[in-house]
Amino acid sequence: MANLVEKAINHKLNRRSFLGLSAGAVAAVTLPGCGLQKVDADKAAELSQMEGEWITAACWHNCGGRCLNKAYVVEGVVIRQKTDDTHPDSPDFPQQRGCARGRSHRKMVLGADRLKYPMKRKNWEPGGGKKELRGKDEWVRISWDEALDIMASEIMRIKDKYGNASFFAPAGGSGGGMEPQRLLNAYGGCTERWGNVSWGSWPDVYSTVTGLPNNGASSGNDRFRLRDSKLIILWGANPAQSSQGLPTYNYLQAKKAGAKFIVIDPLYTESARTLGDQWIPVRPATDTTLLLGMAHYIITNNLLDQNFLNNCTIGFDADHMPAGADPKENFKDYVLGTFDGTPKTPEWASEICGVSVDIIKKFAHEYATTKPAAIISGGAPARINNGEHLPHAMMTLAYMTGNIGIPGAGVSPNMHNSATNAGPALVQPGGNGIPKVNNPIAKSRINSGEMWDAVLDGQFTESKGKKVDVNIQMIWNWFSHTLNQRAGATRGIEAHKKVEFAVAQNLFLTTDARYSDLVLPVTSQWERLGGLLTGNREILIYHTQVIKPLFEAKSDMWIVTEIAKRLGVDTKIVNPITEEQELYNQIAGATVMKADGSGYEKLVTFTAEDIQALGAKGTPQTGRISYQEFKEKGIYQVPRSRGDKLEFTSFEDFLADPVGKKLATPSGKFEIYCDTLSKKIDKIGFSTKSPIPKYDPPLEGYEDGVKDGYPFQIVTIHYYRRSHSTLDNVPWLREAFPQEFWMNAGDAAKLGIKTNDIVKVSSRHGVAIRPAYVTERIMPGVVALGEGAWVEMDELAGVDKAGSTGIINGHIATGQGHSGYNSCNVKVEKYDKPLEPDYKWPQRIIF
Amino acid sequence: MAQLGFYYDMTICTSCKVCQIACSDKNDLEVGTLFRKVYNFEGGEFPNPWAYNLSIACNHCAEPKCTKNCPTGALYKREKDGIVMFDEGKCIGCKMCTWSCPYGQPKYIESKGKSGKCNFCVDLIDAGEEPACVAACQMRALEFGDIEELRKKYGSTADIKGLPDSGITKPHLTIHPNKEAMK
Repeated sequence: MANLVEKAINHKLNRRSFLGLSAGAVAAVTLPGCGLQKVDADKAAELSQMEGEWITAACWHNCGGRCLNKAYVVEGVVIRQKTDDTHPDSPDFPQQRGCARGRSHRKMVLGADRLKYPMKRKNWEPGGGKKELRGKDEWVRISWDEALDIMASEIMRIKDKYGNASFFAPAGGSGGGMEPQRLLNAYGGCTERWGNVSWGSWPDVYSTVTGLPNNGASSGNDRFRLRDSKLIILWGANPAQSSQGLPTYNYLQAKKAGAKFIVIDPLYTESARTLGDQWIPVRPATDTTLLLGMAHYIITNNLLDQNFLNNCTIGFDADHMPAGADPKENFKDYVLGTFDGTPKTPEWASEICGVSVDIIKKFAHEYATTKPAAIISGGAPARINNGEHLPHAMMTLAYMTGNIGIPGAGVSPNMHNSATNAGPALVQPGGNGIPKVNNPIAKSRINSGEMWDAVLDGQFTESKGKKVDVNIQMIWNWFSHTLNQRAGATRGIEAHKKVEFAVAQNLFLTTDARYSDLVLPVTSQWERLGGLLTGNREILIYHTQVIKPLFEAKSDMWIVTEIAKRLGVDTKIVNPITEEQELYNQIAGATVMKADGSGYEKLVTFTAEDIQALGAKGTPQTGRISYQEFKEKGIYQVPRSRGDKLEFTSFEDFLADPVGKKLATPSGKFEIYCDTLSKKIDKIGFSTKSPIPKYDPPLEGYEDGVKDGYPFQIVTIHYYRRSHSTLDNVPWLREAFPQEFWMNAGDAAKLGIKTNDIVKVSSRHGVAIRPAYVTERIMPGVVALGEGAWVEMDELAGVDKAGSTGIINGHIATGQGHSGYNSCNVKVEKYDKPLEPDYKWPQRIIF
Repeated sequence: MAQLGFYYDMTICTSCKVCQIACSDKNDLEVGTLFRKVYNFEGGEFPNPWAYNLSIACNHCAEPKCTKNCPTGALYKREKDGIVMFDEGKCIGCKMCTWSCPYGQPKYIESKGKSGKCNFCVDLIDAGEEPACVAACQMRALEFGDIEELRKKYGSTADIKGLPDSGITKPHLTIHPNKEAMK
């Protein structure tokens, strides 16, 4: 590692001297096309006099928002950026303004640390060579021909020796939609990864209990209906940080309209600060006890909406159980402790969740007596091991009070792109016209919580009681930075060192690229033809090419097509249509909801000339806006106003007619007793869940920490600096957001830790160091760290200097196979060595 | 045209720092130099903490010390709207301005050997646009305009904890403060 860092520094110096420009004479403008050259002051002055063009630039990350981003380009040089100014701004028709990350894009796309050429590890040989040197070997620049030949020969060799299941393509999840999976599937198949990350345990619970085919993220109210709420409970949701763009501003409109906000979170977040009328700190992974304690108060104080329970739910009490179920297994008797002898009183809950009895009772009373009241959860509380009880209990609380199906009420994880704007998309792209390539060995799919163990130990769980052998010998990394971003990165690094061949295609030397044998530079979205991006339900963004491809970067599709040729795979299967046609298909197929809400109509008018200019084949069509207008503005935003026909609240239809418009559950109702869910979890084979919501202490939750001598629970938060791991390398953002470790002031004082002291954080799974941020804004016993920092192992000390939560969090499979980032215990101590601020670290510049 | 100033609604600022980054982008600043910066303050005691943020750039003061102490006239107030302008060609890099401003605003840029500062995005506002920071704000917590109009609308608080006495330079800034930030 030391060698690599040293080398990076030397290369940085060499690069400067090669350009032959002293810092003082350089204007900080970056020239694409022929490389990341700086232009001199004269050239910069010349450019400043020339007329440029604003181009709609992709802001394409999985950031939890979606905004309009534009780049000002003069003679191929990106001068600066801006956000939405396509129409005047107002709360009802707001501009789609971007965040600090979006505004830093040119520093990422044109960063000096972009990968420029294909590279291989110096000590690599067919079969791996010195595999233990992965992560610290030197890099050797190679030609694309050599890189593609290596890819093809290793793929052929590994298939011959070990078979298709030994190819592991973990980045894109299951489904075969993405480029390397297309190639491997066409070549006989590959082992894929499955398991949701962001949504915690919501997807299976929400869909099974309600019968809706979704994870609940787009359920709740649209932004206008939110203004009807009298009470909005943000439960483990911090949109100011995890859904940037409009959501917090939309909440502000609800607040101005009179909604009270209660924020439940171990951290006093910026959302709690700007929106919250009350903050209720709760211990991570114990929220279910708070919900049950509230349920107990509501039952014993006769605050139930019994009509709603009778008409719209099943399983609440012994009189409303599905046929065949044990009547004793009803929710009410569980809460009252009728049969297990443990009433789930506020006192019982308080002991576990850390919220005072008084606050639990008042909170329960307020929620039960306020209509409409909305519970809006982030994924975070459900992002825990054995997490299925939490969403189920949360939904049950809403059923008990009838706070669902009426404007301004509801219960859902209304988050990410849909935050504060639930409901079906009002404008949407057409399909790209590329058929999926099915995986002939689709059963070979490993859960995120088992994947690195499976590589190391050769076995994974296919279903309950069924372990299957697997011999992974190639890991193909691309797109989603799996090694860094899934829990268990310590095991992941070992796994990368074990296989015979590891490859990465990326923009930068990310964690997975660093531990690979072969690294292929890819183009960013700014260097490609263009595409459509969806965001909140009212917008569709059309971004176009900003700059030419940098250095020798190529698209992912070009790479797999070239490998396909060498493998003798039909390139028409892998790469069936042109980029131009793909883009055209999406735009021509784009549809927009009619103003009366009666259905969709075409969005874009295409003339024969437009189609020809785009280089595609198609028929002229008439839509709401011209192709030229769409391209020029780069966005279509659906006109909205209060009281329009596009407002949305989940389950209004069902509430109006629970008999005639049954839900798609076996009972036709919301299922508080949900046998289908219980059986589904059981079949997956990692853990079990009772048909009703109960408290089942999560693996590595609060209780396990106490038992095993880990005094702190760590929460893994989304971090302002980056979109998951993307943009973590941008110096502006590193300067603004230092990846600090949050710790309660009282806890810190006991350990003699002050702000900016370097602390060592150890879990059962890995160790990291970080500067402390000592604060009153976090609950005692809880610590917090932002997810997504690029692992930077100090191998001698055995610590990750970047503070990657992938290193800290455990590689554990439970429930529906979701990731349990917020159930993890740590120890904290003062570290004895200094650590430079991240923005001063050398960039990962290889060539 | 009247004197221009900034309004900042501290109560709704989420410290997303897009103003800071949009400023660095517009002015093409390198790491280490910020013409607009967001500061964070906190206090209280768990479970009753408080926190507030402060986004601040040049306040284009009525009585700026930077213009007064600049030996070459590189810093001056633009007549028509009172923007504190900076003429890089006249700057000799003596750093007097950086020592003079109680808000720490003109910055010395090592790589240039000269100062630099917020010029209210004068090219943008002359073209009828908003300054980059204002146009960027996700919460619409930043506004700009005739300072007298802003003061009429939002009051005239420029004295909060963490900022110097407004009597020193008479900044054209008005803030909607959190109660903990009030002096």
